[in-house]
Amino acid sequence: MNQIIRLVYRNLTISINPGFIIWQILFPLIYIFVAGFAYTSLIENVPFGNKDLSYPAFLASGMIGFNIMNSTLISGIIIWNDRRHGMFEQIMSGPYTRSDYILSNIVTIGIIGLVSAGLITAVGYPVFFESVDFSIVTIPLLIFASVVGAILFGSIASIISTRLRSSEGFNVIINTVFLFFAFASTAFYPAQGAPQPLATAFYINPLSYLVDIVRAGIFGQITDFVIMEMAFLIVLASVLFVIATKLLTKLDF
Amino acid sequence: MLCIETNNLTKKYGSSLAVDGIDLEIKSGQVFGFLGPNGAGKSTVIKLLTTLMPPTKGELSVLGIDAAKSPLEIRKKIGVVLQQPSYEMTLSVENSLDKYGMMWDVDKKTRKQRTEELLTSFGLQDIRKKKNDDLSIGQRRRVQVAREFMHDMELLFLDEPTVGLDPSARRDLLDFLKKQVQKTGLTIFYTTHVLSEAEYLCDNIAIINKGKILAVDSPNELKNRFGREKTIKINLTKTSHSITDLLSGIPDCKIELEPEPTITINSSDSEVVLMNVLKILNQNNITINDLSAIPTNLEEIFLKVVSDSNEPNN
Ligand SMILES: Nc1ncnc2c1ncn2[C@@H]1O[C@H](COP(=O)(O)OP(=O)(O)OP(=O)(O)O)[C@@H](O)[C@H]1O
Ligand SMILES: [Mg+2]
Repeated sequence: MNQIIRLVYRNLTISINPGFIIWQILFPLIYIFVAGFAYTSLIENVPFGNKDLSYPAFLASGMIGFNIMNSTLISGIIIWNDRRHGMFEQIMSGPYTRSDYILSNIVTIGIIGLVSAGLITAVGYPVFFESVDFSIVTIPLLIFASVVGAILFGSIASIISTRLRSSEGFNVIINTVFLFFAFASTAFYPAQGAPQPLATAFYINPLSYLVDIVRAGIFGQITDFVIMEMAFLIVLASVLFVIATKLLTKLDF
Repeated sequence: MLCIETNNLTKKYGSSLAVDGIDLEIKSGQVFGFLGPNGAGKSTVIKLLTTLMPPTKGELSVLGIDAAKSPLEIRKKIGVVLQQPSYEMTLSVENSLDKYGMMWDVDKKTRKQRTEELLTSFGLQDIRKKKNDDLSIGQRRRVQVAREFMHDMELLFLDEPTVGLDPSARRDLLDFLKKQVQKTGLTIFYTTHVLSEAEYLCDNIAIINKGKILAVDSPNELKNRFGREKTIKINLTKTSHSITDLLSGIPDCKIELEPEPTITINSSDSEVVLMNVLKILNQNNITINDLSAIPTNLEEIFLKVVSDSNEPNN
């Protein structure tokens, strides 16, 4: 366990810098306030369960899910840099095992995901306080979303980072994949009213499930469908995690 | 105590054989040099010994621990500077040392003290605040080697640590390593292509080619075994044309009169041959201007051993 704490500490020290904080925290906040209110004139109310959410409230809650996904990019970047700059081999020739390495990455993105979700919830609160319906499941659901989301998207980022050698390739692929997830999801706009193919795409996208769960927690709308989504996310995250671990274990020196 | 012991150690990459049944026994408290041409298998052996990858066949134990059973236990007691660079781009030099110590669970106070010592020993004080990304190649290599001394270890692997270092940094490093061995009883497994370095530093040397060990011994023994053939040059005051005939009777040597008036003698029994030559020259009243024996160095032995092993019948 000690080993993992040390690796997590290292991961955080090497990845947290002003650029990262701006991208990770500042950008989503600006987006919530600027876009949220600018689009209010276009999108009035978004029906959600038996409620009508204001668009800024809808967007702010979607941003939490989006941010959890975005934080996991960090894991891909860490793995990629470690391989590129020889640190993966160096760590593996020291007092660590590959499982230590993989677990520490998951914990790192879990922490970054939780902290940024927490910050956006706190700062976004004034935007959605009218519709919030906090209950005892709110916090557990947010934590569930952060942890399962971190594992799921972290595994995707890890899989991509183990397959690619060039930095351009890595950046292009990972940004394309995450951009698709972001815009073909219910994070920024509701599925209702979207053209049919797009609405379908929304629901082959794990980010939509993640965002639904976050919203269910904040606005107190836990339906059977949300529970199904949670089960689906757990299964998908487990499968991807196993694949990522296999690939990372097989990496050659 | 045996520090490293391998038995028929073998590694294949796909179908190509990189390490071909190596048996090694290395005692503690010495610098062991591992020499060989490019692609000989040096780095692969280091990766096997540091348990970075498992052998295809054969056994190995390091510090008395079976690598197949407890690789992690071995890794906790060794240090490794691999051939390829490794660094954290975003960290400063001093921070790299400190964080590396942290990863080895060295307490804060010790870390601070060692960081200062190593920054000084490795000439890094002036660039301590610089980011790794902004360093020159040689500076980065120095940080990489210095970093490894943040933690305690019993055995250290250095895969061409002096590549990219300037001559004085190189010498400083060799002296630093010698001191560490004396002070702490550390064992060092050292590869290099600079043979004078190996001669200066190593207690024992193995020469490897095509995955096979060709010779293991101390530098002096290697010279005795493979380097008995010496070159002696005798510079005469004037050319005497009968000299080739006069000397042709001496057995076990090759004598050339070139460039005149210098006699070049190649022999593995140079002392006896030299006595004979001097006697004949004396009897014929030929005077000598100057005499020199060219000592064999490790480089010549290395070239000889490796080229012998490359002969088709080998
Ligand atoms: N990852 C790999 N995949 C396939 N073959 C490899 C791999 N690494 C090394 N080899 C091969 O194994 C052999 C030994 O390589 P190794 O790196 O051990 O040589 P070396 O003695 O360290 O050489 P150098 O002095 O150039 O560093 C070479 O023929 C090399 O081509
Ligand atoms: Mg090598």
